[in-house]
Amino acid sequence: MNRITRMIPTLFLLGLVTACASAPPDVTGTGSQLQTRQMQTREYDTLDQARTLRSVISTLQDLGFVIDTADLALGTVTATREDKYTMRMTVTVREKDGQRVLVRANARIGEDTVTDPLTYQDFFVALDKAMFLTREQID
Amino acid sequence: MFADTWSAGARSLALLAVALLLGACAGNRVPTDALRLHESSLELRSKQSRIFEAESEAAILAASVAVLQDMEYNLELIEKPLGVLTASKKVDADSTSQKVGLITLDVLCAMTGSSCSNYSTASDEQVVTLTLVVTPSLARPNDFVARVTIQYVEFDKMHRVKVRSVIEDPEVYQEIFTKLSQSLFLGGTE
Repeated sequence: MNRITRMIPTLFLLGLVTACASAPPDVTGTGSQLQTRQMQTREYDTLDQARTLRSVISTLQDLGFVIDTADLALGTVTATREDKYTMRMTVTVREKDGQRVLVRANARIGEDTVTDPLTYQDFFVALDKAMFLTREQID
Repeated sequence: MFADTWSAGARSLALLAVALLLGACAGNRVPTDALRLHESSLELRSKQSRIFEAESEAAILAASVAVLQDMEYNLELIEKPLGVLTASKKVDADSTSQKVGLITLDVLCAMTGSSCSNYSTASDEQVVTLTLVVTPSLARPNDFVARVTIQYVEFDKMHRVKVRSVIEDPEVYQEIFTKLSQSLFLGGTE
């Protein structure tokens, strides 16, 4: 019993120390830079950055997002969806080698980064459909 | 006796540690279908879109801004080259009947000797955010497609999020497009 009684102040102190400790925020992310890029990027055989960006916006709307920021010159869109949870996405569209465009998307849900490649794949499947409708000139 | 008590305590601690470890390693809380298109997405797209005739992209964007003002929104984003407008407004969500119900619950709770704070969960305000995108029609040259998506977040009296929701009611979109059509007709007249 004495042993347990002796442990109580130690546990109390430990509790106090850990309760007051505040970890610094994750500023630089945790994933592998190359793997993250590969998972979040898709190439499209077009040179029309504006049309691709419009397709991205259309896809985000298909998925229920509202647009927070959009910039054609920089080829960037950030959007939010408030539905059961808060999801934020930033999508960039840029030319590569003057031959095609690269679309990169990154997403967060609440405090979590989306790291599941299948989730990004779902996004690009949705974008493929929007790009197809644009190519076929269907509104 | 002491040994039994201690080993039971140690066992509980070990179980707790394992449970904590498992919880911590449960991994990503991200839902797997977060970016999956619903089967009804094309149907929803058509409910959220309408084709309009307009003199120019600038004219329909101006009419859209006027509609957003008519509906008491404040503009947050305008990206003219992409035809994107985003606007939001705070709406009072205070409901007398809801408050009466929650206060009654608190009184009943107090009568049993406990302390409850159901009233703090009463709805206080909603923030509605709307994106309206105007693009030149691909199928009909000289026409424009307007597409709207709307969502809202409801807060309680303690400013905690109570509801997050995307609005999919077709009647809401219908009404916005009717207003936009009138706005285009009214043109520059105020």
